[in-house]
Amino acid sequence: MSRRTAVQIAVYGIVCLAILLVPTFYDDAFVLNKYSRYLVLGILAIALSLSWGYTGILNLGQATSFGLGSYCMAMGLKLRTVPVHTGSAGLPDFMVWNNVDKLPWFWEPFNSMTFAIFAGIAVPVIFAVLLGWFIFRGRVTGVYVAIITLAVLVVVNLLIIDQQRFTGGFNGITDLAQLEIFGLTFDAYGSSSYYLIAVSLTFSLFFALAITKSKAGLILQAIRDQENRVRYFGYDVATFKMFSFAVSAGIAGLAGMLYTIVMEFASPTFLGVPLSLAIVIWCAVGGRQSLLGAMLGAIVVTGMQGALSESETFLDTWTLIMGFLFVVVVLFLPKGLAGAAEMLLDRIWPSAGNGNGRANKSTSRNTLPRKTEPAE
Amino acid sequence: METLTAQIVTGLSISSILLLVALGLAIIYGTTGVINMAHGEFVMLGAYSAWFLQTFFGIGLIESLVVIFAMVAALGWVIERVVIRYLYRRPLDTILATWGIGVMAQQAIRLSVGGELRYVEMPPVMDGSIVLLGIEMSAFRLFVLVLAIALFAFTWYLMYRTTIGMKLRAITQNREIASCFGINSGRIYSFTFAYGAGLAGLAGALVSPLKSVSPEMGTTYVVDAFMIVVLGGVESLIGTMASSAILGQLYGFVAFFSNDTFAKALVLLAIVVVIRFRPQGLFAAKVRA
Repeated sequence: MSRRTAVQIAVYGIVCLAILLVPTFYDDAFVLNKYSRYLVLGILAIALSLSWGYTGILNLGQATSFGLGSYCMAMGLKLRTVPVHTGSAGLPDFMVWNNVDKLPWFWEPFNSMTFAIFAGIAVPVIFAVLLGWFIFRGRVTGVYVAIITLAVLVVVNLLIIDQQRFTGGFNGITDLAQLEIFGLTFDAYGSSSYYLIAVSLTFSLFFALAITKSKAGLILQAIRDQENRVRYFGYDVATFKMFSFAVSAGIAGLAGMLYTIVMEFASPTFLGVPLSLAIVIWCAVGGRQSLLGAMLGAIVVTGMQGALSESETFLDTWTLIMGFLFVVVVLFLPKGLAGAAEMLLDRIWPSAGNGNGRANKSTSRNTLPRKTEPAE
Repeated sequence: METLTAQIVTGLSISSILLLVALGLAIIYGTTGVINMAHGEFVMLGAYSAWFLQTFFGIGLIESLVVIFAMVAALGWVIERVVIRYLYRRPLDTILATWGIGVMAQQAIRLSVGGELRYVEMPPVMDGSIVLLGIEMSAFRLFVLVLAIALFAFTWYLMYRTTIGMKLRAITQNREIASCFGINSGRIYSFTFAYGAGLAGLAGALVSPLKSVSPEMGTTYVVDAFMIVVLGGVESLIGTMASSAILGQLYGFVAFFSNDTFAKALVLLAIVVVIRFRPQGLFAAKVRA
């Protein structure tokens, strides 16, 4: 482990610890709920940073995975709602309003909460593998990936809104039960949910970090920088991309599930184009090539938005400032605030940044050509 | 039979609007490679200009078209000068920057004129309908169709029969060598961007009497327009025309048989498949690599 990695792990650990300690200082339920919402979006940004920042897949449809995860959780929780709110025969209320008389087959398995939680990650992952197979096997790259993912997002969103009988349409799935695992109840306004989310965040962050530090992670970064060269070395680029795409979808799915717990509903806006593009903004502002940067970007941007949203005029101006800030970041700080911070650190403390930076580069140079099978 | 022809006419009307929006985008994307996510906002600004000129100055829609074109084109020119020209080497980042610009434009409108729906009156001359080949068609829709075709013809002439167009095509093929021959590529790019933006503004103005005008109206158009450009092939104007015609008809027909949402989803899926198997587009001009 290089010194740089050690420092990185330490910094990541400190940030996660700080996040975990928040409830000891703030005991206000409303504040905690707000913070947990920001943290969930932070997890979502980690997911995009992995696929965009580390693999170069600009996924404009990251919200697809997020929304799918969110709906899985909502379906599971909806079936546990106390019977007063459900229709006759235990049907979800919106189905009764839409004259559905039998629980559809794909709702059946969600009677089991274990299945719902499993599906919340598995469904986005399977979806991503299929979509990734479709895209990357065909060697579709760059702008076209962005357009395809965006189009798929719109399609899924339209279908969910259209199939109101089964999905609740525009209204989404509302009036949910609280999640209960191992006798623990996760109240959206309690510290238990906050801890659940903070732990998930820590887990996602370190899981993603482990991937980027692994050999596979190096290859992913190599694909980002020079896709063809990696292909000539004999690596199966498409598989690596599918892997990154799927892991990113899984993390986003997890975030989606948590979001349902915090918000207490699932809605088609969770798969909306605005949210999907907002994720890209958070990553770009925070620094797409830094997991921590992307995460903090999401937390800070949504946090500021939340703080200013209390007054209507401020929110409007904020969106304007946000757009401006975004353009400025894209123009002058392609690596986001994290990149700027790193540059600053290099200047203040040249030995640490530079020396290790060079060491890091040389390791990546050594690792890459090791496997030199002839290209297909 | 009559429903069929009526259906085709509906499709043609959708096509003409799509063509108007996509034409500007096709030129910008085709020559500069910039993915202009703010294109929908140019459409929106065009529509608002029409509303503004009508409400506060009493200028009719037809008379204000030239002014609107000039206004939106000027805005496009400024944006190209200030932001876009730094990003030609980073095409993916143009998506982000132009989207940011789009957000700003939307919000600026919301702050200055408010977010509520606005309505633009149809030119009184064209309020009625015309019977053509036994089909009744709204006069204004016919006007939009004719204008779309005229603008397409003009753009084609500009691209293929003028010096500016020749320079533009030279830059598209190879910017460095074109510059070596003394073509001011920066200026041509600005011109292209401004022209594309102006076309979008015109599209917005022409759409405004047909649909309600709102700050968000652009987003729906930009996705469609993109699909058309990608479907048609990046450097092919004829492809843009053909694919708007196809898409318009497709929307019309599928919506006739099922519902609007389903039509949209199906068309998008079809386009995704096309991109996957023919990223160069259906009607791509053969370009020497």
